[in-house]
Amino acid sequence: MKRLLVIGLCALAACAGVLGLTHDGPQPFPHRKHALAGVPCTRCHVGLGSDDGKTLHVPDAATCTACHAKPHDARPCLDCHAAPNALAELADARAHLVFDHASHASSTNNDCARCHVGVAEGDEHMRPPMATCFRCHDHDASRDARNCRACHRDLDDATTLPQTHLAHDGDWLREHGTRAASSGELCGSCHRDAFCADCHGKTVPVLPATARFDEPDATTIHRAGFVSRHALEARAEPGACATCHSTSRCASCHTELGIAGGDRASPHPPGWVGPAAADNAHGREARRDPSACASCHDGAGQMLCVGCHKVGGVGGNPHPPGWSSRVPTSSLPCRLCHPIGSRP
Amino acid sequence: MKHAIALLAVASYASADPLALRADAFASTAAPAGVLTLSGDGDLGSNLSAEAVVWTGRVASDQAPADVLVMALHARTSDGRAAGTIGRFVASLGALRPVQVDGGSARVGLPHRLVLEAYAGVPVLPDLATSRAWDWVVGGRASRRIGDWGSVGVAYMQQRTDGELATEEVGVDAGAALGTHDDVGGKVAYDVANPGLAEATLSASDRHGSLRNEVYATYVAASHILPATSLFTVLGDVPAVRAGTVLSWRAAPRLDVSADLAVRRSDGDAIDSVPVAAPAITAPAPDRGEAIAPAIVLHATLRLDDRGTSALGGELRRDGSGDAGWTGARATARIALPYRLSASTELELVVPDRDRGLGRVWPWALAALTRVWGPWHAAIAVEAQASPEDRSRLDVLAELGRAWSVK
Repeated sequence: MKRLLVIGLCALAACAGVLGLTHDGPQPFPHRKHALAGVPCTRCHVGLGSDDGKTLHVPDAATCTACHAKPHDARPCLDCHAAPNALAELADARAHLVFDHASHASSTNNDCARCHVGVAEGDEHMRPPMATCFRCHDHDASRDARNCRACHRDLDDATTLPQTHLAHDGDWLREHGTRAASSGELCGSCHRDAFCADCHGKTVPVLPATARFDEPDATTIHRAGFVSRHALEARAEPGACATCHSTSRCASCHTELGIAGGDRASPHPPGWVGPAAADNAHGREARRDPSACASCHDGAGQMLCVGCHKVGGVGGNPHPPGWSSRVPTSSLPCRLCHPIGSRP
Repeated sequence: MKHAIALLAVASYASADPLALRADAFASTAAPAGVLTLSGDGDLGSNLSAEAVVWTGRVASDQAPADVLVMALHARTSDGRAAGTIGRFVASLGALRPVQVDGGSARVGLPHRLVLEAYAGVPVLPDLATSRAWDWVVGGRASRRIGDWGSVGVAYMQQRTDGELATEEVGVDAGAALGTHDDVGGKVAYDVANPGLAEATLSASDRHGSLRNEVYATYVAASHILPATSLFTVLGDVPAVRAGTVLSWRAAPRLDVSADLAVRRSDGDAIDSVPVAAPAITAPAPDRGEAIAPAIVLHATLRLDDRGTSALGGELRRDGSGDAGWTGARATARIALPYRLSASTELELVVPDRDRGLGRVWPWALAALTRVWGPWHAAIAVEAQASPEDRSRLDVLAELGRAWSVK
């Protein structure tokens, strides 16, 4: 047991870098260290007073070397002294947020830490969360109307997902329907109709799992070798296929693959239907898994069974001796043999 | 003159917000299939927006050579209290299933936090040439928000095919955020046309730091999702019932693991209630499998960099029992390469419980190479598999896309 524990700890230590437990590469910029040293934010982030909402205001090497007179190599300072994604996330935020620093200068008395409270805790979370905005800005009306565009631009193109809400983790593919039921318009604040139609549309040419074949991590239906599994999965969730597929889909696909049609007109094995009980595999299978029948033989379901299983039909009387039913004979499928007004 | 001024106004709005356009060409030797998809969306000011996705090509022999996925014009008032959509879109109302329609929808907010929604139109079928006489669907939902933490809604929909009632349902949905860590949601749909519980789901989740736990239960009656005239009215209903829990844990900054531990009621135990003419069948009953079958998924994702551009994934799955039982393993990898290239691969191995002459193992593999430069996206892949249909099969997939932003 001890040996296993030691091996486990050694493996964890060896993989610490891969797991992200340690950072060998570029580190987040030491904002806290600079703030505690009394360096004003605007000494490095110049131009905030005339912010146009687009400029990144990231200091260049000359700004750093104005104080740090002995740079150790010729590379740009932020190549090493900034988190790997910091600049990309900053550019993404600037592109998708309606915000400028200039208009916030007077209301905060030029105190950057009023909003950038993260500087007190460390260097990794400098961008204020949305809750910080709500401390001063009353956006109840916009929030009630699901109108995010007062502050957010082109949300459907934003690559940074909200961290404080709407995280789509867990088995979101299954869970999203339940969540969307009570807050559908909230989904619409980020996702357009085409996003829903990609899976729920009847006129989808290619499913996302097929079209996005180069994104193996994407969460979509019918992933990977679904064609092999589809019969098993259809049995596990009876009728689920028909939520999206028309019943002709089965026949056309099987015909194209040579499983039915042509020389082999039926996908059923020999002895599927016959006069002897031993040859009547179809009845046994129909009782065992009616969803399998319904996945192809849909629409005219009553006729499919009752067409043969009727008095005078090759299937004989469908009712056993002593049969009685509380179902009105005027309702389907009884009505097929017992027209309204006829004797039961 | 007024019309000219209006046009100028619209044009100035359009020029203020970029119009996003995209074209994607997809080809595969599998069908063979080739599809060209064109999509676009943009805002005409703050109150009007439009989107469209159209495609042409061939993916199946019975499919139309071209179709529209979405073509909708959305309008809303400045305060967001009222909104409307016309065109082709996916209409979704609370607990009721989404329907793709050609028609219109509207939503209006009333005092006391009440919201009314409705849609009406013709249900979309995947063939432009299909006769659509007397096919229509209507639906509505009334909901009320409860404070800042929840909402409850009631919905109704009716669909007619050739004038005959095909679907009629009522649904109730509710959702609530309980504190900062927990939330719960649920929905129930009742089939009025073929009376009975059609669908019910309940989901409750709790999040503490890097750990999230969701408990869920679902009940779906097949008669609900198949037309009311299906075989199920003859053979009886076979509901799919599933309950379980999903544990998700960010075990390390770059490592996510999750476990979906569920059981599902297999079709075996429902068969005894099937009201078919039993005496006509004298052959011995086959193995019906276990009444309760496991549905277990264990998943892990390891990001090889902070942004997740390179990642490894692994998944183990056990599902079903009896004839429908299978065990599977899946592995994925995506590696960023120089020159804006990335390589990805996906491997899957499925072992069915019963051979049934369809093969003991069904392997599937795909290897892809992608390049993204500027607005362009190109990818090519090779797919190989052995399945119940094919002892061995090799296919090639290719995709080329470009995006435009028009001021």
